[in-house]
Amino acid sequence: MEPLLIVENLKKCYGREGALRTRKEVAALQGVSFSISRASTLALVGESGSGKSTLAFCIACLERPTSGSIKFNGNELTALDGEQLREVRPQIQLVFQDPARSLNPRFSALEVVSEPLLVQGHLSKREREDRAHTLFAQVGIPKEKALQRAEEFSGGQRQRLAIARALALAPKLLILDEALSALDCSVQAQIANLLVELQSSLGLTYLFITHDFAMAGHLAEEIAVMEQGNLVELGAAEKVLQSPEHEITRRLLAATPRWSFAAHAAKVV
Amino acid sequence: MRYFLRRLMQAAFLLIAVSMLTFLFSTLAPGNYFEEMRLNPQISPETAAALRTQYQLDRPLPVRYGRWANSLLRGEMGFSFAYNSPVAPLLWVRARNTLLLTLTATLIAWALALPLGIWSARTLGRLPDRALSLATAGLLVIPDLLLALGLLILAVRSGWFPTGGMASVGFEDLSLFHKVGDIASHMELPVLALVLSALPVLARHVRAAVAEVLEAPFLRAAASHGIPRRTLLFRYVLRAAAIPLISLFGFSVGALLSGSLIVEVVMSWPGLGPLLLEAILARDLYVVIGGVLFSTIFLVAGNFLADVLIYWADPRIRTGAAAR
Amino acid sequence: MIQGRGWKRWLLTLAVLHGIIACAGFFAPYDSAEQDREHPHLPPMKIHFMDSHGRFHLRPFFYEPRLREGTFEQFEESTEEVQPFRFFVSGARYRLLGLVPSHVHLFGAQDGRFYLLGSDAYGRDQLSRILYGGQISLLAGLLGAGLTLFSGVLIGATAGYFGGWRDGLLMRVAELFVALPWLYLLLALRAFLPLSVSPVQEFFLIVVVIGAVGWARPARLVRGVVLSAKERDFVKAARGFGATDAYLLRRHILPETSSVILTQAAILVPQFVLAEMTLSFLGLGVPEPVPSWGSLLASLQQYSTLVSYWWMYLPVLAIVPFFLGYLGLASALQQDGATEKMVGRAGEDIW
Repeated sequence: MEPLLIVENLKKCYGREGALRTRKEVAALQGVSFSISRASTLALVGESGSGKSTLAFCIACLERPTSGSIKFNGNELTALDGEQLREVRPQIQLVFQDPARSLNPRFSALEVVSEPLLVQGHLSKREREDRAHTLFAQVGIPKEKALQRAEEFSGGQRQRLAIARALALAPKLLILDEALSALDCSVQAQIANLLVELQSSLGLTYLFITHDFAMAGHLAEEIAVMEQGNLVELGAAEKVLQSPEHEITRRLLAATPRWSFAAHAAKVV
Repeated sequence: MRYFLRRLMQAAFLLIAVSMLTFLFSTLAPGNYFEEMRLNPQISPETAAALRTQYQLDRPLPVRYGRWANSLLRGEMGFSFAYNSPVAPLLWVRARNTLLLTLTATLIAWALALPLGIWSARTLGRLPDRALSLATAGLLVIPDLLLALGLLILAVRSGWFPTGGMASVGFEDLSLFHKVGDIASHMELPVLALVLSALPVLARHVRAAVAEVLEAPFLRAAASHGIPRRTLLFRYVLRAAAIPLISLFGFSVGALLSGSLIVEVVMSWPGLGPLLLEAILARDLYVVIGGVLFSTIFLVAGNFLADVLIYWADPRIRTGAAAR
Repeated sequence: MIQGRGWKRWLLTLAVLHGIIACAGFFAPYDSAEQDREHPHLPPMKIHFMDSHGRFHLRPFFYEPRLREGTFEQFEESTEEVQPFRFFVSGARYRLLGLVPSHVHLFGAQDGRFYLLGSDAYGRDQLSRILYGGQISLLAGLLGAGLTLFSGVLIGATAGYFGGWRDGLLMRVAELFVALPWLYLLLALRAFLPLSVSPVQEFFLIVVVIGAVGWARPARLVRGVVLSAKERDFVKAARGFGATDAYLLRRHILPETSSVILTQAAILVPQFVLAEMTLSFLGLGVPEPVPSWGSLLASLQQYSTLVSYWWMYLPVLAIVPFFLGYLGLASALQQDGATEKMVGRAGEDIW
């Protein structure tokens, strides 16, 4: 079966403009290529500034790449116009790092989770509410809290809401941009478990972006390593962790504390 | 250097835009002005016709603007129908008077606001600060129109200040020293009004700016090094607080200029304010345009001065000159 | 939304004050245009409980004024006749809040006129003129502020959200307006528009002129808020499920501007009331006989009034509470948020 997502030679440059002329150009992505098979997880590891988030936004169609191709489910995303894009968007959803910022604090849990349905406009109010409640159940948010404001939830619960919201439109690909990094350690494990559960029950494909190798090792089948806009290593998880080929990978691995691997093994199923 | 050129260009752009705007507005009711001129018994039909052709009031707008701008560059600003004389000399005299008032008031207001604001910031939350906050709140609540009127009534009924005008009768006969004294005594009331209206806002801003600096970690570090209080105050606190205050200075010039119009009218100080008002009521077109332009020039000059001072005071501007 | 409870108290106070002005017809003993040529420039009359014979009256009363002997314009109390007050009297007809016709006034006298705050050159009751004048001045201020805020939000949101050339152009124009001396601009604008129009037209003209002058600062503030709100993750997320610009602005971005708008409103209304007062004071405002706080003060431009008729300054007693209320409200609103930031962008709050 064809992989769900195929990225080929993706490039993205930002030009910062001075008063009268363009100044430094920042190459956030310098020709990245990889693919993700259906219902599997690819972990994208790299330090800050390596271009991970830019990649995520390009795939989620929140930014336009400068050149290269993104094939999703057979469709070339870079070639789509506004209307077509609107149809594809529901299938690729993003979960952000900081749930304190990715949810509008004034919205109620119900409003947060049903917002994608509202925006897409296909369902009635009743139907939206029903779907929201189904999602609540899936992510483990108690029904009674449906009308509570987002800012009154804890960090872990907010991330559950963010995941529920991302699932609202039944996406095929979920991009998790450092989705666990802002959470407390104990909560991280719970959410990681939730993600694994959802993947098997809903057949989701994950692009899991992180700077934490230990996390990557336990959640992903494949690991890709990025450095300054380039993809420097790509391979099966065990292989990358045991016998890394690229210098950067080795360096990053060496920086990961030994105990975190064991800790993850203990908590994550 | 590039910084200054940019600021200068912006100032020039502003002036040109204002002159165009006022000229544009003047044509919103061209018939009225022209009618007024024709109906004005002081102006003979021949003069009216001559003026009309000279200023080409029957030509299209861009042409008129061009001619006016042209004559402006030669130092002429048109003709006043009410005063029956060229506009420029009229404006210069009045502008000088307004500047005298406004600059004096600005200096005094700042000279008071700085120590008061600093004292307030140093005793934050305690009695002096609270007393000052109350006093400034009390002054802020009284709009400048009412303040000026109130002071005038006080002056008239108590006889403490000379009221009205810039000079007493028999001014010409006084010696230079007495002339200066006479003008100064006539300035007391309007300057007081302006200072009282500006002081509360300035003092509050000084207080806020200084209080913010006093909280800063770098200051505590400096104090813990044993640097004496006075040095701390002048070399650390004021320098850091100076930057927002300097741009405030630029704004305060503009604000005081607007405020001075009312004070001048109420207290009969012969500045730009009363002139502009008369010109408006008399439909004296070129005086109005000239007056607005002059006041804008003052404002722009004030802001430019603030820019110069900021440049000198804030090293970040010097190093990152081209970045906004 | 806005934390802190202090602002509610100020809002309530303001509501009460505005309510009194709105019901001017009831609180004012007389119609504002009613003249009494026999009693020009009467000083404020005193309320008595004890009459000249030493008797105490439960119901307060006043004495009719009569001309002092040998003068043409000085008055004194004629202590023979006691004029009692009546409350909830029937008097001149008016429309409460412009809708309900009524003729009941809070207080008045059976015979004779009581001038609590004195009378003006035509013998019109100053208290009534102050109350009715407040209607004009406050309405002009509120409408003007409304207009300014509306256009400011529109322009600021457009500039902040769409960015690009629109932002550049709008902000350049805003810089222009901010840099100009507003009073000169106001006068010039007023000057170039027709001078002799009907009171209603005049009023709307003034509102438009006032509103047109002040949009720049709110626009810049709103633009700042919109710029930062636009980058929020939840906005990006919403865009990720296909939200339109209109939806984002309506649901996410504009609600963020609410606290800025409210604070600006509290700051702008008194400024605009002052602007209307200034215009009226200078003779460029609403024409006679419609009273406005500014035109009430206009007589003070004459030296004789200043010297002899000090009570013409009394409108200040009515005006200051409103300014106090708005200032208090603005302070209370601004105190929400990290620290007492009365500075904002240095100097921008200044006038």
